[in-house]
Amino acid sequence: MKRIIELDKSILRRRLYRDKQFYYAVICLAAITTLPLILIIVKLLEKGIRQINLSFFTETTPNTLEAMVAKASGEIIPGGILNGITGSLLIVLFACIIAIPVGVFAGIYLYENQYNKFSNVIRNIADILQGVPSIILGVVAYSWIVVNITKGFSAIAGSVALSVMMLPMIIRSTEETLKMIPLTIKEAGIALGVPYHKVLFRILIPSGLSGLLTGILLGISRILGETAPLLMTALGSSVVNFNITKPTSAVPLLIWEFYNDPNLVDLIWSSSLFLMGFVLFINIIAKRIAKKWKIY
Amino acid sequence: MRGERLVKAIILLASIIVLLIAAGMVLSLMTGSIPAFKEFGIKFIFSSDWIPTEGRERYGALPFISGTLLTSVVALIICLPLSFSVSVFLGEYFKGTKLAAVIGSMVNLLAGIPSIVYGLWGFYVLRPVIVNLGLSSQGFGIFTSALILAVMIIPYASSLSNEVISMVPVQLKEAAYSLGATRREVIFAVIIPSASSGIIASYILALGRALGETMAVTMLIGNANIIPKGLFSMGNTMASVIANQFGEAEGLKLSSLIAIGLLLFIITGIVNYIGKAIMKRLQ
Amino acid sequence: MKMKKLSLIITIASAVIILVSCKTGTQPADTGKKVTITAAGATFPMPYYNQVFEMYTKNTGILVTYGGIGSGGGIRSLSDKVVDFGATDAYLTDDKIKEMPADIVHIPTCLGAVVIAYNLPGIDELKLTEDLLEKIFMGEITNWNDPAIKANNEGLVLPDKNTLVVHRSDGSGTTFIFSDYMSKISPLWAEKVGAGKSLNWPAGIGAKGNPGVAGTISQTEGAIGYIGSEYAFAQKIQIAKVRNSSGNYIAPSVESISAAAKGAIPDDTRAMITNTDDPEGYPISGFTWLILYKEQSYDRRSKAQATETLNLLNWIISPEAQEVTQKVNYSPLPDEVVEKAKNILKSVTYKGEILMK
Repeated sequence: MKRIIELDKSILRRRLYRDKQFYYAVICLAAITTLPLILIIVKLLEKGIRQINLSFFTETTPNTLEAMVAKASGEIIPGGILNGITGSLLIVLFACIIAIPVGVFAGIYLYENQYNKFSNVIRNIADILQGVPSIILGVVAYSWIVVNITKGFSAIAGSVALSVMMLPMIIRSTEETLKMIPLTIKEAGIALGVPYHKVLFRILIPSGLSGLLTGILLGISRILGETAPLLMTALGSSVVNFNITKPTSAVPLLIWEFYNDPNLVDLIWSSSLFLMGFVLFINIIAKRIAKKWKIY
Repeated sequence: MRGERLVKAIILLASIIVLLIAAGMVLSLMTGSIPAFKEFGIKFIFSSDWIPTEGRERYGALPFISGTLLTSVVALIICLPLSFSVSVFLGEYFKGTKLAAVIGSMVNLLAGIPSIVYGLWGFYVLRPVIVNLGLSSQGFGIFTSALILAVMIIPYASSLSNEVISMVPVQLKEAAYSLGATRREVIFAVIIPSASSGIIASYILALGRALGETMAVTMLIGNANIIPKGLFSMGNTMASVIANQFGEAEGLKLSSLIAIGLLLFIITGIVNYIGKAIMKRLQ
Repeated sequence: MKMKKLSLIITIASAVIILVSCKTGTQPADTGKKVTITAAGATFPMPYYNQVFEMYTKNTGILVTYGGIGSGGGIRSLSDKVVDFGATDAYLTDDKIKEMPADIVHIPTCLGAVVIAYNLPGIDELKLTEDLLEKIFMGEITNWNDPAIKANNEGLVLPDKNTLVVHRSDGSGTTFIFSDYMSKISPLWAEKVGAGKSLNWPAGIGAKGNPGVAGTISQTEGAIGYIGSEYAFAQKIQIAKVRNSSGNYIAPSVESISAAAKGAIPDDTRAMITNTDDPEGYPISGFTWLILYKEQSYDRRSKAQATETLNLLNWIISPEAQEVTQKVNYSPLPDEVVEKAKNILKSVTYKGEILMK
């Protein structure tokens, strides 16, 4: 009897030990994961904080001569990235208008039709689309829209290319999130006679809102920083532009211009800081929304 | 009843749109790559040539295929323990706390850094570290790129996993605890199996991101059009060569690049399929 | 209730935004001019183009947008007729012109050069002959203390360090000019590597863009590579003197680059001026061109659009714009070339009528 009790105790001790081990391993690895982010942010701040002032957000890009003069005298480069900020917002907005409805509804379709062949095809397509390099999407959007529809470089072509990039994240996170909602909740709604579209929009989506927003957020974060597809579709612009059928600038396009111009290189870091600040901002908003609308 | 049919029609329509987009893309890619396949045949996939000189042009995709596969798989392996820990940390151990909200936002921020900035950071910060550690004489290579890729794909792997892990019904967990399970045992016996579908989906998406990443890789891989000889040798990936050469390409070269794009599409499908099959076996 | 109100707000807001986006656009110095000019192409002259196009917009109120998507992209955009003109570092051969939908003309805009940059602390006056360049870039010479380099640079203490060749991983006009020169001075290079915007490099590593090459060179002792002059002059980077065909060692500068363009240039200005005959000329220099259709009335293109395009091109070769080249580290066109360019502009027609009188 004693041997069994001792055996039990030692097994228990081992299980508790493994439990503690795992806990510390998780904390360690999670801390290591935040390390690169901290290093990157520190580097960005170190190099970019000088350039950030009010005119950074309200003026358009400086030209290379002004920058050269400023650099020579040790002052900060004049001008800002207003044309990039408004352009990015415009292009991303339209990309969302296209991608969010298509993505969420396709995700719902996959959830409602788990096992049929067509769903499998769509699921695989979504996963494959995630691996397509952004430049190919730019090329395809160029031949579909720039050449045939707007007959010139335009913001909407850029939005279309970017929307395709957002789709996989949105579709899959919608489907997977909805799958995690206990079936009982859905059935309770149906049993109470709630019409199907209300079950969808009043019960399922609010329950899964956090997950849905995560997918949308990741999609937006990704396209905010993409250059290659925009080079072939939106082209860029030195002024603020709100016309989606004309070439428009965007922050990553400006970063590309700054990279290639030896006098404007310093602006890369501050532009990236802006992008990160914006991603943080929409992250916080998304968390607020999820909290407010959560019912489960 | 009408409402239900309308909604069913809309969600079906959305799926069809996705199908059409993919089909349209594949069609564009196929039309563009026909000249290359006509010229080189199926040998294109297995050839290591890359000779852009006019009059003697010969292209092959093998170096890039191997580079892509090597960097992405290594990146996923590096990313796995890190993002798994983060998602368990956020979704289970510290679920709902302010700390989780802060760390969650921080990890999501990683997704918002433009890839060109990752490339520059990797070039100025990561590369000297690799050189100092004596792993490679120049710091360029498969490993450095895989490392930066791993950092880039962490948010994709951890965010969705985090969400599904935190959505495991509390009754299931309570049942396990009441049977005397430790926290770790609950995680491995209850949470992971029930969230497995979402976790696998997030890793497939992370892998996809790694397969298609361009800018960051192109700055750190050395752009040598050879089949990599080891973990620290230089090489090139499909996405990187397409992005580098596309702006200036024409004729046969352009067609070869588009053919590489088509191949990437196919390879992504194959890799995803293998990944899902492995996961099914392990379950 | 909450959901309904929110979706209503979102729908109205989206409708407003969509309507606004399809109608308006801000124009600088709104003088009522509706013509805007779009162009795309080479990244080599991009800093210069951005500078002068902005000046033009300020002066005339006509918005000019330029995208540096690469010469190939520029040619493709013109071929697809989605831009008013394209920009390219390598002129189109007669065969390539035949592939375009219609006849095109080339307008040169400025001169640039490819400098040989290196990283050897303390060694500022490196002199390289054609032979040394060939051997280093083809990987035959692998160490800086090689007797061949020493023999050419008496008085310099060259270290025992491996050479690392850094070239461009992306296709570029800079590579084109460099390889064109190398093909002219080295039959071995012409046979094994050839000239082109991207090459099958026998040695070295590839870096992306001028910044990539410059960054790699400045971070690696013993590295040597080629960079576009507009980029190199703005950095503090060691530049080698190259021996030209007259036997003089020339350092790249605004004057030596302009000198390289002195000589016989065909009327359509399509010429490679590497390995120039001029004794003061820097041997690795080149033009960059803008290309447009000879007959401007295509695709419902308005006469106003064509006229404004020509006005812009006319301005770019004018003294006012050419003055700017030097300020941003390019070289201005020699007068003879400006004359030829003007004549080419005079040959551009709209529905058969010459536009520039």
